[in-house]
Amino acid sequence: MRTQRRRLTRFLVFAALLATPLLLAACAGPEARQTTVIADGDHAQRILDLLVPIAWMALAVFVVVEGLLVYTVWRFRRRSNAIPAQIHGNTQIEILWTIAPALIVLVIAVLTFRTQAQTAEITRNPQNAVEVTAVGHQWWFEFVYPGIGQAEASLVTAGDMYIPVGRPVRITLQSVDVIHNFWVPRLAGKTYMIPGKTNYLAFTANEPGIYRAVCAEFCGEAHALMRFRVIAVPEAEFQSWVQQKSQPPAPPAAGTLAVNGLSGDPVAGQAIFLDARKQCISCHAVSGTDAKGIIGPNLTHYGSRRTIGAGILDYSPENLALWLERGYELKPGNLMSRVLTPQWVQTNLSAQEIADLVAYLDSMKVSVNLPPER
Amino acid sequence: MAIAERPAEGVRVPTPTFHVPPGLAGWFSTVDHKRIGIIYMLGAFAFFIIGGIEALLMRTQLAVPNNTFLSPDVYNQLFTMHGTTMVFLAIMPMNVGIGNYIVPLMVGARDMAFPRLNALSVWLFLLGGLMLYSSFILGGAINTGWFAYAPLTERQFSPTIGVDFWILGIGLTGVASIAGALNFIVTVLNMRAPGMTLNRMPLFVWMNLIVSFILVFAFPTLTVASTQLLFDRHFGTRFFLPAQGGDPTLWQHLFWFFGHPEVYILILPAFGIVSEVLPTFSRKPIFGYAFVAYSGVAIGFLGFLVWAHHMFGVGMGPLANAFFAGASFLIAVPTGVKIFNWIATMYLGSLNLTTAMLYAIGLIGMFIIGGISGITLASPPIDLQQTDSYYVVAHMHYVLFGGSIFGLLAGTFYWFPKFTGRLLDERLGKIQFWLMLVAFNLTFFPMHIVGTDGMPRRIYTYEAGLGWDLWNMVETVGAWLLALSVLMMAYNVFKSLRAGEPAGNDPWDGSSLEWGVSSPPPVHNFDVIPVVHSRRPLWDTKYPELEMAHAPGTKALTRAEAVSRERERLKLQIEDAQDDPIHLPSPTYMPLLLALGLTVAAFGIAYLTAPGLLAVSLGLVGTGVVMVFIAIFRWIMMSHKDSPHIAH
Repeated sequence: MRTQRRRLTRFLVFAALLATPLLLAACAGPEARQTTVIADGDHAQRILDLLVPIAWMALAVFVVVEGLLVYTVWRFRRRSNAIPAQIHGNTQIEILWTIAPALIVLVIAVLTFRTQAQTAEITRNPQNAVEVTAVGHQWWFEFVYPGIGQAEASLVTAGDMYIPVGRPVRITLQSVDVIHNFWVPRLAGKTYMIPGKTNYLAFTANEPGIYRAVCAEFCGEAHALMRFRVIAVPEAEFQSWVQQKSQPPAPPAAGTLAVNGLSGDPVAGQAIFLDARKQCISCHAVSGTDAKGIIGPNLTHYGSRRTIGAGILDYSPENLALWLERGYELKPGNLMSRVLTPQWVQTNLSAQEIADLVAYLDSMKVSVNLPPER
Repeated sequence: MAIAERPAEGVRVPTPTFHVPPGLAGWFSTVDHKRIGIIYMLGAFAFFIIGGIEALLMRTQLAVPNNTFLSPDVYNQLFTMHGTTMVFLAIMPMNVGIGNYIVPLMVGARDMAFPRLNALSVWLFLLGGLMLYSSFILGGAINTGWFAYAPLTERQFSPTIGVDFWILGIGLTGVASIAGALNFIVTVLNMRAPGMTLNRMPLFVWMNLIVSFILVFAFPTLTVASTQLLFDRHFGTRFFLPAQGGDPTLWQHLFWFFGHPEVYILILPAFGIVSEVLPTFSRKPIFGYAFVAYSGVAIGFLGFLVWAHHMFGVGMGPLANAFFAGASFLIAVPTGVKIFNWIATMYLGSLNLTTAMLYAIGLIGMFIIGGISGITLASPPIDLQQTDSYYVVAHMHYVLFGGSIFGLLAGTFYWFPKFTGRLLDERLGKIQFWLMLVAFNLTFFPMHIVGTDGMPRRIYTYEAGLGWDLWNMVETVGAWLLALSVLMMAYNVFKSLRAGEPAGNDPWDGSSLEWGVSSPPPVHNFDVIPVVHSRRPLWDTKYPELEMAHAPGTKALTRAEAVSRERERLKLQIEDAQDDPIHLPSPTYMPLLLALGLTVAAFGIAYLTAPGLLAVSLGLVGTGVVMVFIAIFRWIMMSHKDSPHIAH
């Protein structure tokens, strides 16, 4: 009796030891800002609500089956050379353990299909939704707000996707080159952006915040450096952002900005930006100016971006200068680095010109009360 | 030679009359399934080491955030080649190698059904692998992921020769795989010893038969898709180019229609090995033979209905997703059945915990984890959070490393004595097992955690401070320990080949036919084709007093009684078997020449549209075609020369 209990205790301890890592996986520390197990949006919440019961079932299956395995191996390890009873099978038991997993997966399937139906309905028919078109490029995200902005054009931006809190957002997902994948882990599950095909994703952010987001499908050399931010702000703040974004930025006022010990002049910077020989406008656009490039990100109101180079550097004038000077090192394969090669930068962009450009880009701001980083 | 049957008139020792060239020539011209099996295994092990080095380089890069050890392009080449290598050049050929050696012995055949085709397969596998690897020095290996999604693999986005070499190299190994699969099917269906009904075949043979059928149906899809891609890249078609009306999701459907059955091609042979190893070291028959065999068949069928669970995020719509989710959930049932049957096989047994047995048990333990993580991935809503994250990397390695590789190691420790006549060092083997088990879990378990915390796959670097740093370091340490355990394995093989303990014919008290012949077996395998009376033919002679399986309500027979009853029934067949001449084909270089010809032509095709290389390219294709024709002609002309080799 006593030995049996000790055996049982030992077995339980061992099972618990095996289960610990699984439990660890379910806990996200304060650092886990890109985690899927904290949901701040309804789409992610529905997935989490499905995952939790399945995870408990999985843990139970894990403990039972691994326990059975370890117990069997321990209990029946060879003690003598006698040949054990030759048992060839037992149909009843085998039918039982065919049905048992079938029942478990049936429960999981029903839960799954219910969640699927809910999400499909919300995506098909979101109430009072903000429409955004997200377009994947190698290796950055473009966001178009159709019907918002000046009469002749949609509101176009990149890198930061502003959305209102508490109101559904329906995102139309497209790609101009290869397949990308739109993923904001704390708000919604991921959906592919496929050239020649349109996908939709609808979700509502529950909390204001700056959410981390990435491209999740391998899309070429700099795939790892294709990130963006979703900035969820209260409705009034969102309307104010739309209002400001709809206006072209005011022409730069005379002034200076200290960049790496140089003083950048925004007015001179704009002239450099619009100078065809400097190549900026071949790819980039700033509304209200002659810059109408469509290959690269739209740089209107660039001074309010949260990051540079699709999420690889925090926004600051110094980092922007670094990006212009050594972008080819920071993001290999990037289209801009094919123009701004080391030799080209050497001969065509002086440190002062870079400072002026930074001053110009930094001068175009929208004023929004930013929510906390999540 | 202790065989289930021995002719009454005494032992005849037939010797093949042809001359086997000595040394390397004997290997290059061989058509012997055992030698071919060994070439497969050595080649696969070499590629396994290379794929492992690629993994180590990647893990070293990812040890710390923002690392600059590898450039993104090199990293992308490495992860693509790691996946391609492990799937096509390591696990698959290792399965084929062990199967090649063991299956004919297990079914009581003297060789595979088509020995020369068998030789062609092994050379095509090696040359296809070498062609793929030559791209590293000829302009950069493929860097698009082993799934080669279009349009990233189209010329516009991948202008280097890497993709072409991948298409053609994998194409060559594909020919090898299909030829090999047909060979296995015919061997198993037509060449079994008298009395070995399908329901008496060892489960390892069952699993190889199922895998061969899967291969024949799955692999052509990949060949078709990659040929379309080749045409897109070089000859102006637009199968996968959306701007001209093509469809990138077509590639995904075609690729995964191959790719998912491929998972079962990789894992089922390991399941077969475990189904041999567990009964042997438990000294019990497999629990529920029919359930284990037919659950394999069920997995084979269902495996063709689940491919789009790799594509839940593609936007197929909730109905299609639900169908593929349901089919994927269903696969859990036959898989669960297998695991329960394995545990029941050990239950009430007398477990001899040899290294082979430890690996078989390890496979069950690790596969349970891989199976459970597969369930959440099969649920489309959860999949949308987990797919393309490190969670998938964890899941897939629990299935393919914890499953396939552990199974292959179990098989290696189990059959090495049969291959070489010497045992692997058991003490070293057990240390290696525990080291590998710990290192494996250190490497891959944390990937569940970082994946759940939002770390995407296939990224060459990541930011600090997202809760991933510690786990990535743990994974890297684990990977290096894993490398150490693989090194120990290599050392064990090297050492045991020279100085291992002599094994004898039957070191494990086995029950299947291969343990009845010498280690290594003679070139013709069996002096006399054995006659089989049960699922465990060798135990019929070794333990005649044991009871046979019997239906409820019937009287139990001892094995000896059952055998004598069977003999009456099989009389005619037994006589047939005695009259069978020993028929072995002679060694020939033609399969090698044919494989070389196809490879030379493939190199030519890769450069057909390269500027200024048309003449060279056409020259290569021409040379290759000529080599192929010479090889086929001489192959056909020599066939009739085999008939005199009768030693009987």
